Amino acid sequence: MWVWLKSILRSVLRKTELDRELDEELNSYVAMLADEKIRAGVTPDEAMRQARIELGGAEQVKEKVRERRLGAGLDTLLQDIRFALRTLRRDVGLTLAILVILAVGIGANTALFTTVDSVLMRPLPYPDPGRLVIGLKTMNGEVAGPVSRVDYFDYRDGVDAFEELALLTTFTQQFTITGGGNAELVQGYYATWNLFSALGVTPEAGPGFSADEENQRRAAVVVISHGYAQRRFGRAEDALGATLVLDGEALTVAGVMPSGFRLMYDADVWRLIDRDGPNDARRDSHSHWVVGRLKPGATLERAQAEADAVAASLATRFPDSDGGKGLRLIRLQDYLVRNVRTSLLLLMGTAVFVLLVACSNVAGLLLARGERRLSEMAMRTALGAPRRRLVRQLLTESVTLAVGAGVLAVAVAYVAHRLLIGLLPVGELGIHPPAVNGPALTFAVLVSVATGLVVGVLPALRSTSTGPASQLRGDGHGAVGVQSSRLRSALVILQVAMSVVLLVGTGLLGHSLARLVGVDLGFDPSNLLTGQIQIQMTEYPTPEERTAFFTSVPEEVEALPGVESATLSNRFPIVSRWPDWSIHPSDQPPPPPQETFTAMARWVPPAYFRTMGIPLLEGRDISREDDRGAPNVVVVSRTVVETLFGDADPLGRMVNIGDWRDCFVVGVVGDARINTLRGSPDPAFYLSMAQIGPTQLQIAVRTGGDPALLIRPLQDLLRRKNPDVLFAQPQAMSSAVAGELSGFRTILLSLTLFAGLALFLAAMGIYGVLAYNVSQRQSEMGLRLALGASDGGLVTLVVRRGMGLVVLGLAVGLAAAYPATLAMQHLVYETALLDPTAYVGAAVLLGVVSLLASYGPARRASRRDAAELLRTA
Amino acid sequence: MAGDQTEVLRGTLDLLILKTLSLQPLHGLGLARRISQVTDGTFEVKPGSLFPALHRMEQKGWIEGSWGESENNRRAKFYRLTARGRRQLGEEKENWLQVALAIGKVLEAT
Repeated sequence: MWVWLKSILRSVLRKTELDRELDEELNSYVAMLADEKIRAGVTPDEAMRQARIELGGAEQVKEKVRERRLGAGLDTLLQDIRFALRTLRRDVGLTLAILVILAVGIGANTALFTTVDSVLMRPLPYPDPGRLVIGLKTMNGEVAGPVSRVDYFDYRDGVDAFEELALLTTFTQQFTITGGGNAELVQGYYATWNLFSALGVTPEAGPGFSADEENQRRAAVVVISHGYAQRRFGRAEDALGATLVLDGEALTVAGVMPSGFRLMYDADVWRLIDRDGPNDARRDSHSHWVVGRLKPGATLERAQAEADAVAASLATRFPDSDGGKGLRLIRLQDYLVRNVRTSLLLLMGTAVFVLLVACSNVAGLLLARGERRLSEMAMRTALGAPRRRLVRQLLTESVTLAVGAGVLAVAVAYVAHRLLIGLLPVGELGIHPPAVNGPALTFAVLVSVATGLVVGVLPALRSTSTGPASQLRGDGHGAVGVQSSRLRSALVILQVAMSVVLLVGTGLLGHSLARLVGVDLGFDPSNLLTGQIQIQMTEYPTPEERTAFFTSVPEEVEALPGVESATLSNRFPIVSRWPDWSIHPSDQPPPPPQETFTAMARWVPPAYFRTMGIPLLEGRDISREDDRGAPNVVVVSRTVVETLFGDADPLGRMVNIGDWRDCFVVGVVGDARINTLRGSPDPAFYLSMAQIGPTQLQIAVRTGGDPALLIRPLQDLLRRKNPDVLFAQPQAMSSAVAGELSGFRTILLSLTLFAGLALFLAAMGIYGVLAYNVSQRQSEMGLRLALGASDGGLVTLVVRRGMGLVVLGLAVGLAAAYPATLAMQHLVYETALLDPTAYVGAAVLLGVVSLLASYGPARRASRRDAAELLRTA
Repeated sequence: MAGDQTEVLRGTLDLLILKTLSLQPLHGLGLARRISQVTDGTFEVKPGSLFPALHRMEQKGWIEGSWGESENNRRAKFYRLTARGRRQLGEEKENWLQVALAIGKVLEAT
């Protein structure tokens, strides 16, 4: 083995030395042969001649020896690569063009592959993540969101396929931590004691929650994050057993989670869900996710079947709350990537398209170069090179090019990937953006080599397909030329078609974005600063005190310079979502759970609608008099009225809200988009803030100029008012709205770039084919000019040929666009998939660009002098 | 191929070279002449097959070349059998005898 390896190395590395030795050996052979002949009486010159003949051609013998050497294949490869590099250097312009085209194509694919790999394929950062499952409520078989806490305990007891089944709230919550220095606001959520063990993560310090704490009423324990332990206590060990005052409740730190641990939301504290806690105390109240770990060997199907059995038994035992209800189990990973999957796969698909366009473009360029090298190939065939060897040489050239492009592509990918992962909404997954890594590099190399072979094979076969004789005789513009130029035309048609598909896709998304940006929110988002204000129950123990505090805030804020008006709400649209509560007319029995109508629950002070720009359609606004002493009132949005009362007059009717309180309808306002920009506006009802008395509200300030300028004055004002009041998350509404669209913008931006690239490449392809065509038809052009054709006539002639290709490509592309854009169905917004604007736009844009691309060569043809054309041809 | 000269049987060239070199080191021409002489001119080894075989065998470590003076004071590369080559010769001889025996049996079968 070693000898063999050494020999290979030797024959590759010490090739010149070996060759020189072989040379010498053959010389001595000939000399000794000649000596024999001289001794036999032949003259020295004649002896030498005969000896050479007997050797049978020194070069052939040498070549045979080289071929038989070990490692000969590698040697030939190196030789081919050296030759390829020389050839490529001779044609720097072309080489650079091909390198750039392929680098962009391969780079885009590598970047997307890396992103797809890290987002869709990479397992979640928990041990054995394939066994993790999330459970969602179903209503009549349809997934309908969060699960009830009370139902959860039945599932936990009834489904045997789970090693652990845990529960967590569907929202994070802000807790105020007081005592020991400054008050601070931290994010956290509630979870059952076994959430961490279900995920397979143990606290880095402390035991965490325990099973029996679940049975106590509000066990005074809390688990905190590694980061928070460090910030507040310095070390995790010091945090353990310490007391934290959360919203006025003294809790003992029972565990510190390791750094980087997260599930769905960022959190610094976890509180325990106990059996009798206040959240979802009823079966028809749903605000939790179920997360479970399957037992080893247990299948999802088995777990689902067992869950279905539990659901059936619940439905018979509690028909009012659980009739028609079920639990759908989904792999956690699949659930978490559901939003980005379509977008990512779409982008991956377009990137492949771009690579195909790039490949066909480069194949065209190589074909053109092959035509120029026909006589070189013929010469080498005449000198004895077998066709196999020439094809191999040409393929080595294209693969060398592609691999070079691959190296550049990795740089492209590195930049593009960072951009992508930064812009995609993947934060929820809890994965850190990985760098371009091993698998990605492997991918780039494989794609590069494949690309090299794909783009090289046609040109290589084509340019070695003629016999040397006809080529060297000079009828080189014969069959091969015609065939290659047909091939190149076909490639151009392909490029045009693919560009059209990409352009149509871009058009559809562009149109959707325009619709989304122009969507009527139902309120005025401009110059609106929002933020969160929290006061302490201990400081303001009664609802009246809290209402007095919150009533004074907008009044004082409105006195600040630059403020037009200010208002409060439990949640402002877009910057926060949900919750929705049930609502039905009080004079009717509550509908069965499947038919419950819910609307967004909001509580606001007077003049909320004026500040927000939500139109008051009927009745009156919430007024100062609607306080705790007065009858409960509600203002409802139009959809609520239409759903509950139809055409009847809603004013003065009584509605029941959340099975909790009856209120008189005093006014009707327009619907607004609250949770998302897409879809229809959300129905909502607005209670009087004074009749609720909350400790936590959001503030919105309508300003004359830039809302950001008011953050400091607002903070200062609140601090002067009461230093313990917390003000958090200041944000301009317009940037929240823009943020909603950022994922969409990213996709559109990438698609636009890809489509632009494809269009550019297609234009280059058209230009190339026509320029070659013109150069081949010089004598014909000359004749036409000599016979009196006008310049314009020649231009038309060439442009018409270019347009012929374009029209064919357009036809193919427009036909392929519909099936191709079906993948975008979920992304387009209020835009038909066969949107005429997108189709006509794509066709027109492509037409104009290809006209420009054809005009260049056409103009050049007509500028020449007839005599000159005829002479050079 | 002309007259009574036969192309060396495929696969036997290695054996012929190894056997011949086992008697004494030789250069390329000397080797060709010795094989021709021993086989009474039945086998003529042409340079086109001789040199590739020699170089391949040298790479495999069966023979070893070194430069020396020929009988006529010409510089020539002499090949000598190595220990590895001697083992190889043993194996090839064994194989060949088996093949020859087998073919003999086939031919004598009635």
